[in-house]
Amino acid sequence: MKPARMTIALALMLLPATLAAQDQLPDVERQLVARGAPVEWAQSVAEIVAAARADGLPTGPLVSKALEGWAKRGRVPPDRVLAVLNQLMGRFGTARDLAVGTGLDDPPGSLVAAAAEGLGRGMTPENVRDVIAAAPTPEAAATGMTVAGSLAAQGLDVAAAVRAVRDDFRNGRSAAELLELPSGMAALIGQGMHPRDIAQQIVRGGGFPGRGSGARPKGVPPTKGPTDIPTKARGRRRGNN
Amino acid sequence: MIDGSHISPDVHRLLDGEPGGSPEDRAAADRFQTALDTYGAALRLPGRDVDIAVMTAVRRRRGRARSGMFWRWLVQPQAVQLRPAMAAAAIIAALAVGIVVRQATLGGSPGVGSETPVMLVRFELAAPRAQTVSLAGSFNDWSAGEEDMVKSPATGLWTITVPLPSGEHQYMFVVDGEQWVPDPNAHAQVDDGFGQSNSVIVVGPRGVVRS
Amino acid sequence: MTERANLPDQVLVRHVLSGNVEDYAVLVERYRTQLARYAVSLCGDSDIAADAMQESFVRAFDSLASCRDPAKFRSWFTRILTNQCHNMRTRTRTHVALDDVDAAANESADTRLTSNEIGRAIEEALDTLTPEQREAFVLKHIEGYSYSEMAGLLDSAVDALKMRVYRAREIVKERLQDFV
Repeated sequence: MKPARMTIALALMLLPATLAAQDQLPDVERQLVARGAPVEWAQSVAEIVAAARADGLPTGPLVSKALEGWAKRGRVPPDRVLAVLNQLMGRFGTARDLAVGTGLDDPPGSLVAAAAEGLGRGMTPENVRDVIAAAPTPEAAATGMTVAGSLAAQGLDVAAAVRAVRDDFRNGRSAAELLELPSGMAALIGQGMHPRDIAQQIVRGGGFPGRGSGARPKGVPPTKGPTDIPTKARGRRRGNN
Repeated sequence: MIDGSHISPDVHRLLDGEPGGSPEDRAAADRFQTALDTYGAALRLPGRDVDIAVMTAVRRRRGRARSGMFWRWLVQPQAVQLRPAMAAAAIIAALAVGIVVRQATLGGSPGVGSETPVMLVRFELAAPRAQTVSLAGSFNDWSAGEEDMVKSPATGLWTITVPLPSGEHQYMFVVDGEQWVPDPNAHAQVDDGFGQSNSVIVVGPRGVVRS
Repeated sequence: MTERANLPDQVLVRHVLSGNVEDYAVLVERYRTQLARYAVSLCGDSDIAADAMQESFVRAFDSLASCRDPAKFRSWFTRILTNQCHNMRTRTRTHVALDDVDAAANESADTRLTSNEIGRAIEEALDTLTPEQREAFVLKHIEGYSYSEMAGLLDSAVDALKMRVYRAREIVKERLQDFV
């Protein structure tokens, strides 16, 4: 998070009276209190979410994480939840800066969240940039990021996971088709293949096993999603701004 | 939203504004939305009394001419496009019942994609000695106790089938209300950030394959 | 007067903040008409909805300077209204949301008079939803929002919103079994 924004975000957190007067966001507070959470703690959570929103960072995953933390309260102390939320918000800031650095002026929240999760699962900033560059749209990049992160969590070498996602995009596969990869990985592992061997095949250009290495078979029309748009022109994908 | 649910994934998709489904599905979706439109059209709406009361209260307050301290401050506006087919359908439906269609000028963060289909996904856990097992995850706000699983007397397996949109989902089973148990059939286990773990599945357009 | 009614939100907000309080009336009428159905569906009661709208407009006026992007007054205000509706719904709900055909016959406490049985069934179904399910369902099916628009408004991911809407649909559909 840029220093100026950090200061301002912190300032927001120290002004509970101002926030209350704004009536901007008690959604998460209301949900937590309805589940029996102490009001003060719920307000602290709400303040973090408000700060994230003020900074243009995705709030959905923070709210979800807070609800998760409360649901797991038997084993997770409330202060730990707040610390995790702050940490997550920080990672969102980093991920957002990364995405902006690739030429997207206003990366969607889904992409920022997915990139942050990917970084947490072992993807490097370079990996994140590669996925964004390969994807036809920022929204598709979010899916690609999620898939790469999931493959990595399944034991696939991170570089191979990123390569598999990149290859799929370059072969014209849609974001929806990418979501098949983790199931594909599970099937291969179930058949006895080792993640190391799967990684090797991908990295050698052989593609994801069972999926085909190169372009689509003849006669099969490409799915939607142009892959030949120059990076600079990719900027804002959504209308009216 | 479980076994014995009344709405098929195809009808959910239709109600989400996505194409497809059989003629029966389309008829079911139409009937549902029409019933809601009828309800909406019959509501008695607050009138000018609200405006009068508000302006009375507001005139009494001292003018708050704070300069724009927070204006245009940290948030970049985002625009959202209504997909043309949906816009047309919305306008037609609105004209039919006299509902005003609002402008599409809201900001938002698109998720994995508004076109993500819904798939029925089955979860199962072998826990023969458990009294209760429920499913808590990102898709139900981690509300343990809401998605109660059902035990098969024959196999001792606890199961539940849930419609899920495509994408990644994190979850755990909650046994007897307090024991959080991973799913050995998940795609992966990941750190939940709290020092525990979550099970992960990624639902694709054709569902889920487990190891 | 007619000209003032056509001014965009951000201009009106600026006018109000520089001391022209009367221009607020335009915003009030604009969003009272546009969001009335939403408020009543959320509150389940026209009078409570009227109170919620009134309270929301006054609070919005008080904190108008903190509306970060006046061009997005609508979503900022909708958020305030959503929360007021939830807060006020916990008051006694007497179900006077639907137009009564024959008010004189509304004697026994047991009859919630409505000429519209489907409407009654939907009312009752909405009452069994959690606040989160209800707001998502109403935004989707009464107001016609897309999931991404809702995500921006409600601080939730699209998937979480879909789950709430699916669940709410199941509950409503079950109540409508005899009619739909």
